[in-house]
Amino acid sequence: MNLISSEFRKLAYQRSTYGLILAAVALSVVSTAFSPFAIVQLSGEINFPLSDPNNVDGIYSKALSAYILVVVIGVRFMSGEFSHHTAVSTFLTTPKRHRVLAAKLAVAAVAGAAVNLFATLVGMGTGWFALQLYPNVAAPHAHIFWDFALSAALTGAVLCVVGVGVGALIRNQNLATTASLIWLFLVDRILAVIWVDGGKYLPSGLVTSLMNLTLSVSDKTTSLTINTSDYLPPLPAALILVGYAVVFSGLAWVSTLRRDIE
Amino acid sequence: MNPIEFQGLTKRYKRLVAVDSLTASIQKGRITGFLGPNGSGKSTSLRCLLGLASPTAGTALVNGMRYAELDHPLSTIGAVLDNGGFNPALTGLQNLKVICTAASIPDARAEEFLQLVDLESAMHRRTKGYSLGMKQRLSLAAALLGDPGILILDEPTNGLDPIGIAWLRNFLRGLADSGTTILISSHQLAEMQHAIDDVLVIDKGTLIADGTLAEVTGGQSLEEAFFRLVGGAK
Ligand SMILES: Nc1ncnc2c1ncn2[C@@H]1O[C@H](COP(=O)(O)OP(=O)(O)OP(=O)(O)O)[C@@H](O)[C@H]1O
Ligand SMILES: [Mg+2]
Repeated sequence: MNLISSEFRKLAYQRSTYGLILAAVALSVVSTAFSPFAIVQLSGEINFPLSDPNNVDGIYSKALSAYILVVVIGVRFMSGEFSHHTAVSTFLTTPKRHRVLAAKLAVAAVAGAAVNLFATLVGMGTGWFALQLYPNVAAPHAHIFWDFALSAALTGAVLCVVGVGVGALIRNQNLATTASLIWLFLVDRILAVIWVDGGKYLPSGLVTSLMNLTLSVSDKTTSLTINTSDYLPPLPAALILVGYAVVFSGLAWVSTLRRDIE
Repeated sequence: MNPIEFQGLTKRYKRLVAVDSLTASIQKGRITGFLGPNGSGKSTSLRCLLGLASPTAGTALVNGMRYAELDHPLSTIGAVLDNGGFNPALTGLQNLKVICTAASIPDARAEEFLQLVDLESAMHRRTKGYSLGMKQRLSLAAALLGDPGILILDEPTNGLDPIGIAWLRNFLRGLADSGTTILISSHQLAEMQHAIDDVLVIDKGTLIADGTLAEVTGGQSLEEAFFRLVGGAK
């Protein structure tokens, strides 16, 4: 319990944590607020009528974008120990390193879930306001509130833990942060669209699966198509996401328990 | 049982032998100087003792136990290391509170020791803006948090002003008089001459002298003895 509070203090004292929470909320808000606008602008190229409740669900689903920044919280939480050499005092205080790591992973999971849930709820609220600006908008399905909230909590927990794993492997804080942002903002999202067979097993594809959407959109100019039926059902997606958390915790474990601390 | 025992401690980094079968013991309630040229293996030995680096062979024991086996490490042994970092985004006080929580030490101790090392006016500032000497004082406060019976100090006078150095000398003497065991590595031989009781000298990872200050210096100054032992020009 002491270790949990100590790890929690490391996060809570760090001002950049609040910056990242704000950024996560902003990302969620902007993604949700602008998507009806973008869709109306692009109505020549894509067919996405907001009178279809499935499509309205799709707009709200943008609120789950914040996980990309939740990862960074986890990455900095861990890599900071090595970048700032605080690992020295951390492990002098608690030489049984597995206990520190367990506490850090637990704090990361809870913080990640809370931040992503908060950002998602704010984003969905913003989406509701944004949709008031358009005529003939259908109501979303009632189940999405709980589906999205659960998905947000699970995704946030998993990705913050994944961030801790990345931070243990890439110990340069800035490099680790940049690498995860490039991966999640670009590579992962592009793969989830252009290579669905593999991309559906990557975080962005799994988050899409979790939300249990029924969407089919195609872009007439690029002929790119997103069809949610190509993705996994929610339960297997959730299990694979948890698998990511297990694998990255394991990586953090093996890379931290034995090695020399500088 | 001595508070600190090095038993055939060897640490290799690939082909480089940083510490070569170091065997030595540190006596209780005494201040032992750990001397040697740059790169001779002092910090490496201390990091092995503190469980931060794993020895290639041999062991280093604190009260007869490996560091990782200690139940309350901070209350047993405190350390000021040459690379012990603080989070630059946290204040001095916050950095210590993080340690206090993990070690079940009341937060009030943090403020108490920050006052002791003369940092009370800076304790609410982020350590990013601390000078070298201020960081050194913060490290010392961190090492003292648990009231340990053993103190390890790796170049603690680095960056300290003359007042700080004189204060540290008296402070350490006071601790030793009340039974604290102190192992201190430093290159300030003139300063060490007045501060230590026993000496260990290490060169290229190997122990080359071990005894009381009088035994090792044999009537010379510590600096003269050091040059004689490590074969430097003078
Ligand atoms: N992590 C490491 N990887 C490779 N070599 C290392 C590492 N740490 C120390 N060394 C090497 O081990 C040797 C001993 O270094 P150490 O830091 O223990 O010396 P020192 O006696 O503390 O020197 P100084 O007086 O300069 O502080 C040096 O040759 C150093 O380059
Ligand atoms: Mg050194």
